Amino acid sequence: MKYRLFGIVFILFFLAWQTLDGLVEGDWGRLEGGLSNLVVFFEESMWPPNWKVLEARSYPVCEQDIEFFCSVGYLGMMETLKIAFVSTILGFVGAISLSSLAARNLMPLYISLPVRIFLSAVRSLPSLIWAILFVIVIGFGPLSGVLAMTFYTVGYLGKLQYEVFEGMPNDPLEAGRAMGLSRSSIVFNIVIPENSNHLLSQIMFMFEYNVRHGTVIGIVGAGGIGYYINTYLKFLQYDKVFALLILIFIVVVLIDLLSLAVRSFVNEEGDVRKPTWLNMLIQAQKRRSKSGDVA
Amino acid sequence: MSEDAILSLNSLVIGYDQPLVKPITLDVHEGEIIAILGPSGIGKTTLIRTIAGLVRPLDGDFDLRVKRSGGLGYIPQRLGLVRHATVAHNVSLGARLSVGWSRTMFKDRKERTFEAIRTLGIEEKASEPVRRLSGGQQRRVATARTLAQRPRLMLADEFLGELDQTNVDIVLSAVHELVEEGTAVIMVEHHEDNAKDFATRIWLIKDNHLHDYSLEEWLDIDESSWREQHLGEEE
Repeated sequence: MKYRLFGIVFILFFLAWQTLDGLVEGDWGRLEGGLSNLVVFFEESMWPPNWKVLEARSYPVCEQDIEFFCSVGYLGMMETLKIAFVSTILGFVGAISLSSLAARNLMPLYISLPVRIFLSAVRSLPSLIWAILFVIVIGFGPLSGVLAMTFYTVGYLGKLQYEVFEGMPNDPLEAGRAMGLSRSSIVFNIVIPENSNHLLSQIMFMFEYNVRHGTVIGIVGAGGIGYYINTYLKFLQYDKVFALLILIFIVVVLIDLLSLAVRSFVNEEGDVRKPTWLNMLIQAQKRRSKSGDVA
Repeated sequence: MSEDAILSLNSLVIGYDQPLVKPITLDVHEGEIIAILGPSGIGKTTLIRTIAGLVRPLDGDFDLRVKRSGGLGYIPQRLGLVRHATVAHNVSLGARLSVGWSRTMFKDRKERTFEAIRTLGIEEKASEPVRRLSGGQQRRVATARTLAQRPRLMLADEFLGELDQTNVDIVLSAVHELVEEGTAVIMVEHHEDNAKDFATRIWLIKDNHLHDYSLEEWLDIDESSWREQHLGEEE
């Protein structure tokens, strides 16, 4: 069994390699200079990161006591976070209404199938394309960003949610149905609480995803930190771009930690207090010293 | 078929692809407690699920003369509880069905929920998620949910299984509270002793037939050989 799995992985890897070779048309020479180019680019243009992005902008004049609150990094990040927050919440509400209609175990096929097709259609356009569309329709600014991300969130989260709903145990649904609870009551009182852990995890993931993609959609003029990244890229100020990228990385890590804390309220890990490594080491030490006493 | 029956099975054929039991024609009246006995895989659960409306009958039909919403209580084998929600939330699902629309409906629901929780002796666990409870406590929650619902027909699938005597007593006294109000109960049961203790009627499924006994008739069967005669390969 182990060898078979190894064989399958090897064959898949070989196929992937062959496909890549076909894609680059055997011209591997381009890779040779790539690494040295990267090193030069990094050393000369990106390093050290320019932390001026965390200082107050020269215009408009800063009226805050702390300069940081007037900086490009803070203002851009806050706008991205606001866009991501609003679109995640709006998208979540839209997605949960549609996903409960799309789940096969909750709705008959004639309702679930059209909703699934609608969700696929919404999802098939990446958030960047949604952003371009909304920038064309309603102009530059954060509203285009919010709408673009909301639409993408509905499509993406909707699929994740109905797949979770379809995978839930059947017995609470059957009990609810047999008791005579309405479909909406089953969704709100059984399906959503039973899947709260997954839903919270998904909403936090989507928020993090929207923060990361907020940088991309900003590039096409839909607001947020991406707008500043785009400006610095145009002026070849890669050291400032690098500083902003580090900022995004820190925020993404913080969101991940927040997600862990939020989910601990609903997942089963919170039920049993696991021993920490420190506790285990201390106890092992105690046991050793006790056995030493006996000896 | 009698008019005052709350459930009438009319030549009902149950099964998924193949009929499991020969056509069943029976009536169930208010206040009856029926225990379904029989070897594993014979169709006890399928019968309950068919009456609960979760499996289509292969042939025949049944008249369920209870309100569609809330008239039928159902406790599946795995209890059907919302594991991540609190005990109070789970029990309130039953109360939601028994309390009609009114200005005081939220207060009434809450009262009925906590009344059922107190009856089953799980008030200390009311705000805990069900997943943290032991198997016995979870069965009490499922019973409290049905108690708060006050259905006219209660269906339960092996819900006394694996319970210690204290829990069996607590759960059964709650069921009796419902029965005194006229609820009929149909329970799938694995232990003949439990069935003899609480049932008024026994349905034995054996050799593709459902045999209907009153408790007196059942007790008349020679105890020493009943298992061999009637439950076949169960043990």
